[in-house]
Amino acid sequence: MTTHVKDSWMSTRLPCLGGICATYFQKNRAANAPYFAALPFLIAMAAAFLTLSGAVLAVYYNPWHAFDSVQFIDRNVNNGWLIRTYHATGTTMIFGVTYLYLFRSLLRRAYRAPGEFVWMLSVKLLAVLMLTGWLGYVLTGGAAGYWSLFNAANAALSMGGLPGAVGLWFFGGPAGGDTLARLEVFHALLAVALLLVVWLLHASRRAIAAPVASGKGVAFYPYYLAQYFAALAVFALVFVVLAFYAPHLGTSHMNQLPAESLAVPLGGGVPWYLAPAAGMLGVFPGSGLSIVAAIAAIVVLYALPWLDRSGRAGRCGKLYGFFTWVLALDVIGLGYAANSSSGAAPTLAGVFTAWYFFHFLVLTPVVTAMEAE
Amino acid sequence: MRRFLASIFALGTLTAACHAARAADTLSPLHFQSQGPLGTIDKAAAQRGYRVFESVCAGCHAVGQVHYRDLEALGLTPDQAAGEAVAAGGNLGSPLKGAAPMNMGGAIPPDLSSIAAQRHGGARYIYDFLTGFAPAPAGTTLLPGHYYNTAFPGGETAMPPVLRDNAVTYADGTPATSAQEAADLAEFLTWTADPNLDARHQIGFRAIIFFAFLAIIAIASKRRVWSAQI
Repeated sequence: MTTHVKDSWMSTRLPCLGGICATYFQKNRAANAPYFAALPFLIAMAAAFLTLSGAVLAVYYNPWHAFDSVQFIDRNVNNGWLIRTYHATGTTMIFGVTYLYLFRSLLRRAYRAPGEFVWMLSVKLLAVLMLTGWLGYVLTGGAAGYWSLFNAANAALSMGGLPGAVGLWFFGGPAGGDTLARLEVFHALLAVALLLVVWLLHASRRAIAAPVASGKGVAFYPYYLAQYFAALAVFALVFVVLAFYAPHLGTSHMNQLPAESLAVPLGGGVPWYLAPAAGMLGVFPGSGLSIVAAIAAIVVLYALPWLDRSGRAGRCGKLYGFFTWVLALDVIGLGYAANSSSGAAPTLAGVFTAWYFFHFLVLTPVVTAMEAE
Repeated sequence: MRRFLASIFALGTLTAACHAARAADTLSPLHFQSQGPLGTIDKAAAQRGYRVFESVCAGCHAVGQVHYRDLEALGLTPDQAAGEAVAAGGNLGSPLKGAAPMNMGGAIPPDLSSIAAQRHGGARYIYDFLTGFAPAPAGTTLLPGHYYNTAFPGGETAMPPVLRDNAVTYADGTPATSAQEAADLAEFLTWTADPNLDARHQIGFRAIIFFAFLAIIAIASKRRVWSAQI
């Protein structure tokens, strides 16, 4: 690879590739960046890793015998258990870095202009990731996943008009092999959509990066390459600890049971990364309200650049920072309440859900406007 | 750095020592070699557990995801595994099927292949359940055909107490008390639920050492690269 792209063999034959390579040698990046700035890169790496491991699983997966085929992968496919552990723990890792990235964006208020578009893509990333993650959880054919699908599909099918038609097109039916066969396709398609969103996120972040004074910047190679590699090594270390010593971290033993259409499992069986959303949906009676709540929870996140009244130049106040930490605890609490069998759990989930909307719809405009003065 | 390396080596020595000093007695105190981050399946206990399974449990329960050929992973020779298969009327490729599904007072005996993963508490729960049969406390009315069990959620199960002292004869001379049978069975079912447990822990230990060093080198290299910038 040469920095003189105009002269290189490849750039005369495929100019766009030469252009891409050249960006990695231009000294236009900030001369200091925290490790946390590598989180989108880690999300991209985890997404690619999940796509590859998922492709191997798809070879052996059979939606008409979902649970048995997963058992077959675990027990009879050479190193199948390893690939499945990679896929399951990779999911934990991608959700971990995505939640961390979103929280950091909230804390730094990176969603304000000119970062609105990046923020909107980040929320889209979370939405696509949660849908993909839920489909993967359902595809395992476990008892908890089966009933989660059964409830969701029935909620969608019971709606009239266009939403009902879309639901029928998406699910095909309440549960069973034919539905899982569709969902397997959507799971794979959404994985591609996820890679696309991650790429757009990366490109839009580059577009709004603060300009660096000439002579003060550094190139991607070797500075950011070294940093990203270090971040990836630590990420991989955490990954192997979880994959080999806690392969079922944050998932319910309910989903280790085969799906049974006549037996509803006791208690919540949602994996940790879906638990906050499940806790919120469980608060609302009836499927219609739950769907409205799910959309509202995403919409308030999406609208955050306009709910924040501090404006482009407003400073980051301590009080709003404190409330952002409270919001993080609130979401974690929602996750715990979703899978708790304690009698207080439904009340707590209600309080946490109310606080979530209160934070975005009331606290955010009021506190930021107050602190901007 | 030196302290870090020393701790890793200490951990390795400790693991080796645990293997060497492994006592045949798993009951006092009760422990399962498969538990813990560096645990491995106790093959002797799991073989005894298999004996309990095929003599007692297989009367009602299947371990349908495990085949007779898989028993070689527990240390049986191919001939021994084939012998077990033929005695059960199958071949090396047959699953460990129990009797035909039956109705036990409204409950169907579950397949035990993944029972250790399906129940909260795993091996310890299986042991507690199998040793947890007791006379019902005064004032408790059991459903017809049900038995009181201290470990079972709700307290009453359709499974009768089946383990008795000397229900089987162990080839290695271990006294076959009902507690011993329960502990051995728990180890066997831990293996059937997670046949790759040994490999998982072994690969994981190596992978952690590799990535720990890689992370240290990568961070050092990053610091060096960035310190050289103009």
